[in-house]
Amino acid sequence: MTPFLSGFMITLLFVGGVYFVAVLERCSMTGNVSWSGPARSFLLLFAQEEIKTRKHDKVFFETAPILFIGVILLTISILPFGRGSVIIDLGTGALFINAALVYVMVSLLMAGWAVNGVYAMIGGWRALAQLIAYSMPVVMVLTATVMRAESMFLTDIVESQQSLWNILYQPVGFILFYISALAITFLPPFDLPVAEGELAGGVWADLTGARKLLFRLGRLALVLTLSVAVVVLYLGGWMGPWLPGFVWTFLKTLLVAASFFAVGHFIPRIRHDHLLEYNWKYGVPLALYNIFQVGVVLLL
Amino acid sequence: MISIQLILLIIFGLAAIWFGWRVFMTSSMVRSALSLLGSMVAIGILFLVMEAEFLGVLQIMMMGTEMSIMAIFMMMYMMDPGGLGNMDMSHQKKISIAAGVVVTVLIVGVALFADWGTIVTQVPTPHEQNRMLGMEILKRSMMIFETAGVTILTGMIASIAVALSIKKQR
Repeated sequence: MTPFLSGFMITLLFVGGVYFVAVLERCSMTGNVSWSGPARSFLLLFAQEEIKTRKHDKVFFETAPILFIGVILLTISILPFGRGSVIIDLGTGALFINAALVYVMVSLLMAGWAVNGVYAMIGGWRALAQLIAYSMPVVMVLTATVMRAESMFLTDIVESQQSLWNILYQPVGFILFYISALAITFLPPFDLPVAEGELAGGVWADLTGARKLLFRLGRLALVLTLSVAVVVLYLGGWMGPWLPGFVWTFLKTLLVAASFFAVGHFIPRIRHDHLLEYNWKYGVPLALYNIFQVGVVLLL
Repeated sequence: MISIQLILLIIFGLAAIWFGWRVFMTSSMVRSALSLLGSMVAIGILFLVMEAEFLGVLQIMMMGTEMSIMAIFMMMYMMDPGGLGNMDMSHQKKISIAAGVVVTVLIVGVALFADWGTIVTQVPTPHEQNRMLGMEILKRSMMIFETAGVTILTGMIASIAVALSIKKQR
């Protein structure tokens, strides 16, 4: 397949993947599969009146949605979908994933604080506490995958799983990354920043129209991006028999994304203090243990 | 010789200074913290422009987290719920100006008179840079980094210990 054709296919599959994730999200909330639902929501938000709150912070209000979706697109651009199918193969790829995700929390804080409303502000601070906590184990488990590959190129990390996928080589790292990915995408049961029941939408409570659309679209892309990251780091990336590499990447990605929503469907929302406590008391020490364990196995 | 690299260096250098100035000119802790983040990101971009990829990405990542932690700690310690109130971000103005001038003179002096060695013409690849940095941190500079790490940890524990309520738990 020519590079142009595979690039076109990958873009098409990614856009289709985002739509599929939107269908999954709707299904996890309502229990019904509605293929036209996301399209209707898109059109509704697209045509909705832009309401600006009184005394909002103009700079943050306008910057936050663009920053949110911008950093997610940057993350997509460094993830390999197949052998040689990567937009930018960075020498610091593994570190860059976390660097970009940090700005998800900055944009959520900006959005929450800028609207000058109580619910949004609490949502913004919650997002900050949650994402700071969960970006710590992410960077530590990423270190362990880098240790095995002896390289920060994401393509090298996939190649290092030729003999054994990282999900089996470092299961503790996989579990921590999976849970942290759920927390970073603020999906249920970690949806505290945008909790419908208690904060009436939290960070998004006062956003309407295009800004809300950018956030909603960004979150769907974020779910898909982190699913790709799970596949690249732990599930052998493009490796698989018979089918082309990128098809395997997408099949695995959609399975991971579906599992994210399944977890959210069955587990109730976690309490904020529990969320922080579990991570700082158990998540971070376990991430350190994971680095130690991988180091020992590598030296043996 | 003026190259694109030099122009970008000047632009982002000025952006770093401008954001740094905004830190003290705003009337809100959140704006101030995020201005400082803007300044630090501009410095991270300076590293990227100078082809030090690892340092650039690390700077942009670390500062994003650090400024967020700083913002949330400021919120916790201040009597200003959520940071929505107005607040003057400058204090002890005369001492601050004097300290600022002295430090600027020192930095400019170091920049002008230090022996920077020869400027490399061939930049190592990012992969090679990562390796060399790792070797540096784990060999010659290990003591410095370990000392700094432990000092920061002690500072964090001390600040939380000082902030804890001394009342008995009900």
